[in-house]
Amino acid sequence: MNKHFGYKTFKTGQKEVISSLLGGNHTIAMLPTGTGKSLCYQLPAYCLDGQILIISPLLSLMQDQVEQLMKFGEKRVIALNSFLDAEKRGYVLRNLKQYKYIFVSPEMLSMPIIMKKLQALTVSLFVVDEAHCISQWGYDFRPEYSKLGDYRKQLGNPLTLALTATATKKVREDIIQSLDLQKFTKIESTIDRPNIAFYIEEVTNYYDKQSRLIELVRKLQKPGIIYFSSKKIAEQMASLLADKGITRAMAYHGGLDQEQRILIQQQFIHGQLDIICATSAFGMGVNKENIRFIVHYHMPMQIESYLQEIGRAGRDGEDSVAILLYARGDDQLPIQLAEGELPSEQQIDWLFSYFPKEEILIDHFLDMNQHLREDGGFSEVQWRIIQDFIKKSLKFTNLEQAKQRLKDFVNARLKVKKDNIHYLKKWIESKSCRRELILNYFEDELVLEKIQNCCDVCGIQLEQYQAAEDFHSHPDNAKMWKDYLANILLNRELR
Amino acid sequence: MSNIKNILLYCLKQLNGERTIYSIYHLLNGKKSSQTLQDAHLFSLKRYFRILEPLTRDAFDEIFNHLLEKKLVEACGEQRFLLTSAGEDYLLNHAQPYYVNGWRYQPFTLIVWERLSLLVQVTSNFTFQETKYIPIQKNVEVHNWLKGFLKSTSVPKAELGKSLFFELVQILEHARDVNPEVLIFRLTGYKQIGRTSSQIAKELELDSIQYHLEFINAIHCLLHFVESEPARFKVLSSLFTNLDHKDTLTLSARKTLVLLNQGFTTEEIAGIRNLKISTIEDHLVEFALNVKDFSINSFVDEEIQLMILGISRQESTRQLKVIRNHIKTASYFQIRLVLAKYGDRQWN
Repeated sequence: MNKHFGYKTFKTGQKEVISSLLGGNHTIAMLPTGTGKSLCYQLPAYCLDGQILIISPLLSLMQDQVEQLMKFGEKRVIALNSFLDAEKRGYVLRNLKQYKYIFVSPEMLSMPIIMKKLQALTVSLFVVDEAHCISQWGYDFRPEYSKLGDYRKQLGNPLTLALTATATKKVREDIIQSLDLQKFTKIESTIDRPNIAFYIEEVTNYYDKQSRLIELVRKLQKPGIIYFSSKKIAEQMASLLADKGITRAMAYHGGLDQEQRILIQQQFIHGQLDIICATSAFGMGVNKENIRFIVHYHMPMQIESYLQEIGRAGRDGEDSVAILLYARGDDQLPIQLAEGELPSEQQIDWLFSYFPKEEILIDHFLDMNQHLREDGGFSEVQWRIIQDFIKKSLKFTNLEQAKQRLKDFVNARLKVKKDNIHYLKKWIESKSCRRELILNYFEDELVLEKIQNCCDVCGIQLEQYQAAEDFHSHPDNAKMWKDYLANILLNRELR
Repeated sequence: MSNIKNILLYCLKQLNGERTIYSIYHLLNGKKSSQTLQDAHLFSLKRYFRILEPLTRDAFDEIFNHLLEKKLVEACGEQRFLLTSAGEDYLLNHAQPYYVNGWRYQPFTLIVWERLSLLVQVTSNFTFQETKYIPIQKNVEVHNWLKGFLKSTSVPKAELGKSLFFELVQILEHARDVNPEVLIFRLTGYKQIGRTSSQIAKELELDSIQYHLEFINAIHCLLHFVESEPARFKVLSSLFTNLDHKDTLTLSARKTLVLLNQGFTTEEIAGIRNLKISTIEDHLVEFALNVKDFSINSFVDEEIQLMILGISRQESTRQLKVIRNHIKTASYFQIRLVLAKYGDRQWN
């Protein structure tokens, strides 16, 4: 294992998942963030003949996993997604057998030609990554994920591993049902990360929040991540922190070009930055062990993503703290964001008024009339929801009925999202142990032993997460361009 | 240090009030229209073609308004401007970026940068015998190029770091008016991640567009040195291999060229492609500008060609209308074609 992946020991749950799979059992595994889920299919691959098929919802996630495998010298890896140009795709599809790990997006799986090629292989392990995306109840529901059960059948019901991040019982049941797993082993390691303390701090208003953040950043031991719900505020805060000379901080969000994103992420991993002011776009592929704190400047959308984000702290097992700054009325922003992700009733009415009354293929109509997207002010996410819905419901002959169903669907999604926000708000305002409430929510077993640094309700001192002395950034050692170049290319200082 | 105001002034001087200021914007932005490509030739502004792709119209307006406020330019028609004597003075006292050559280098500036960036990272990790690291460049074509380079290079692996270092230093120490920091600090090596463009811009107190210009100038400087003495820069000259030049024609023009080479006439091509004849004519003008050995003789009699050139020189103008008034037998298309093919040469 060390040879192939550079690890010496297993982390929580990994060993159990791997033994279960090697015993030939379908396995559903819920492992806490940051415990190396990918090892769970990488290691068995060495004992299984045939191909490992990994279904992954996000292109960037896929790309990251491919890179991690390649980093350790594994060359038999391919990602079948829209990045692959036509020429290369032809070659890859003709030579699919030579790959061991095949990553594929659900969209690709829905293409008959791809499915035919895959059916010609011996898929020895069918891995569903981020399996919580299957469930309507999940915060990250992806309609295209709901067909995975069918695809699995078409491939002859191969041995299956469903990997999921923190998910409620309802979501886990959905996964099992959707994949149609008759008999399976469930491995659910606790979601608790005892070395991360919860700390919620109420501030009176926006200005207090900003000054409190600066104070925290000054004092806390670094490195750390501050999460924001807005790109603009993440940028502003990073500039503020850097310009005032408080710390080496940069903003990271989806609006930056790829080169900048990679550089900033790598600078952070290599200790050239102390703080990242991030949106939720930051985190994937950030395998950094020593992150000491996570601050949430805005209220998150749901407890699942919150846990995922704070789970990036303390992977080295050392004490770390998750701080959430909360001001009254903070729940307005996530509600607005949730509403913005879904098309409104007015938008739906407007769109349907353009649909032809005769019985024709509506999805074709949509493809032909892309301008409707702009005219109706649909965001990319909103438009995708509409397209997915239309594609799934070609059989409608009654437009009114279709419209109503779409509205019902949107309302149901909105309700799930609002409930999540509401629950988070209750959690913030509650006066009981933060950890206990979260574990209850996921129906996890309670740890009998009381954790020493648990949460602000149980009582912790923020002082103990402070840096030993005033933190001074190390200046970059090479100020002159020639020295800099010599340092990286010559393996010695140029005199 | 050169600056963008100065480039604008230079362009305005070259245009001599014969085009609107937005033709400069399109030029710097690299708009792939026949008009812009042609202007770049006619007014000898090819080296500034496409060098400021990220420039927004608002930013352009802002810089231009600054020139107006400082009374460096004055209006001579709607959206047309000439330099004032203060503008002429300013132009004389400020250098143009020395190496920038948009027409020649811009089609592959980005790919050369990506190659250099990956080459330095890989070489650095070789030097420190590290095999596990995340490549900073993701472009698959760049990765394939690097694999090819490592297989074919005559420089021993152990020497690669040294060679690359000395070649870069050779160029950057002898370069005129180039700040090596804009380029070198962006490079990533063993346990040293490069800075982002915005980080360097901030450190050097440059705005982003000014930084972009400096960066382009530095890359073009490398290309300039390597191109003139490839044997001296064994490692860096590999950055040039297998570069695609097809980029200089618009996509649509390329399709027209295929048909033209098959022997179809302008009218026939317009019919086949379901385009207006004037569009096909735009393409022909592009070929006159870009396609080596493209003959215009079948579209304009040689006699008329000479007349057009004569008038253009005599009246010192590239304005079609003026020329047309003198030679009624020539069409506007023919005048454009002749100016595209020979106008540039005659004037320099």
